[in-house]
Amino acid sequence: MRLKTFRAPRMAEAMARIRAEMGEEAIILSSTRVAGGVEITAGLEPPEAEPLPLPPVPAPPRLSFQPLPDGIARPLLLFGPHGGGKTLTLAKLATRMTLTGQAPLLVAADAARAGAVEQLAAFARVLGLGLVVAETPAALARALARRVAGQPVLIDSAGCDLLDLAAAEALVGLCRIAAADAALVLPAGLDAAEAADTARAARAIGARWMLPTRLDAARRWAGWLMAAEAAGLALDLAGTGTGAADGLTRLTPEWLAARMRLSDPRMKAAA
Amino acid sequence: MTPPVPRGRIIAIASGKGGVGKTWFAVTLAQALAEAGQRVLLVDGDLGLANVDVQLGLNPPHGLAQVLVGHMPLEDAVTQVGGFSVLAGSSGSGALLGADPAVLAGLLQAGAEARDALVLDCGAGLDAAPRRLAAAADILLVLATDEPTSLTDAYAAMKLAWRDVPGLDLRLVVNRAADARAGARTHGALASAVRNFLKRELPLAGIVRNDAKVPDAIRHQTALLTRHPASAAGQDVARIARAL
Ligand SMILES: Nc1ncnc2c1ncn2[C@@H]1O[C@H](COP(=O)(O)OP(=O)(O)OP(=O)(O)O)[C@@H](O)[C@H]1O
Ligand SMILES: [Mg+2]
Repeated sequence: MRLKTFRAPRMAEAMARIRAEMGEEAIILSSTRVAGGVEITAGLEPPEAEPLPLPPVPAPPRLSFQPLPDGIARPLLLFGPHGGGKTLTLAKLATRMTLTGQAPLLVAADAARAGAVEQLAAFARVLGLGLVVAETPAALARALARRVAGQPVLIDSAGCDLLDLAAAEALVGLCRIAAADAALVLPAGLDAAEAADTARAARAIGARWMLPTRLDAARRWAGWLMAAEAAGLALDLAGTGTGAADGLTRLTPEWLAARMRLSDPRMKAAA
Repeated sequence: MTPPVPRGRIIAIASGKGGVGKTWFAVTLAQALAEAGQRVLLVDGDLGLANVDVQLGLNPPHGLAQVLVGHMPLEDAVTQVGGFSVLAGSSGSGALLGADPAVLAGLLQAGAEARDALVLDCGAGLDAAPRRLAAAADILLVLATDEPTSLTDAYAAMKLAWRDVPGLDLRLVVNRAADARAGARTHGALASAVRNFLKRELPLAGIVRNDAKVPDAIRHQTALLTRHPASAAGQDVARIARAL
């Protein structure tokens, strides 16, 4: 509604001005005598569209929880940004499998960084597992062809920037040669938009799972949670500690709900 | 089937325009209802600048946001003042914006349970948050002063509220009126806009006079009916409370 107040010595004059300024549609809302004449308030409802209905409430984020493949039918390949915790996560998975009698074959497709292979080799020695270092895709294919039937295979890959086209293509090639299921290893604490971009890129190259890491060290979880939701990557295990034997936690909606309450610093302060 | 728990009325206060006296009026109405023997919960639903606690000189550790996100049950977050209960607001908290309207309505209804009235400060503006709160009301009191900006914004708030809940019991409170006649004129102006443009009637809940005791009480962070029980504005609100 548009509203305007007019003052004039006489009623007729005020009315004439209202008609001239606001048109025939204007309604007189109030009129009073004031010193020197009258004061009239007129209103006009512009023929605008009806007000919009209340916007729908945004749907709560939908996370999907699916068991991570066991690496038996198809190898399980871990990939993700540099320093995101791929090798440690792989060692934790290998430890779990070994403890349940499913000793996996470890493959380092991480040929670019000698240090990473050494780290994995050390884990393999401790666990008494076989380790294949595949420096080329062809070597990877040969190693996989020789594996024992029924033995799980875990593949570690070089840290890469998924938003870099060449790196993403190399990863696609690796997954195809290995005929592997791919899981994105993503550290908690990243900027939410950046984490979501990375997760979407991971999804685009065929990943179906996300393994978030450093949940124990990061206070802000929006990044990995929004990334998993935005890209539709399934969750199962998460890195929650530095120990190879006890640093993996199974994610469930209940566990997340309980932990997120506790980690809200304002809630801690208020408690 | 168990019969529904009887609950008190949700009386929401909105205005469209900011600064017309919603928070002060909500506090004083809650106090007036309490003094009339009612069990009252005052809820600060103002997301931008929660002020109920400031006007009452409270420093509550918890409030609406904690309840909405499920950190604690409503009754644990409530603070007692004088004769009524207060659920404080949380400035700048997005919790209300993202809140599921059904959850919000359920929360307010739970707050009205075992009480006679829940008084809700909806905050200023016309966006989704005050609209959702207004839509949860049993009675919506729209506050307006005689300033043109207040009139147009109050009109816009009423138009939206009726759009959201066509059968809403909506009444006008004229605040800061020079006297009863001036207040009646303000009501008349808005009522004729509503009649002509929205084809509805606009009942008057009451007129509150402009009163220097109001800013005095707010400055002392004390409820008006405690500090100035006989003040004109205090008596006007008490009359509105009786007529509700
Ligand atoms: N009847 C009255 N007489 C005199 N002053 C009044 C009256 N009602 C309100 N005021 C003054 O108006 C000011 C604003 O009041 P209040 O904070 O309650 O408004 P509000 O509508 O809640 O504002 P906001 O939209 O910012 O939340 C106060 O400082 C108060 O002193
Ligand atoms: Mg206020």
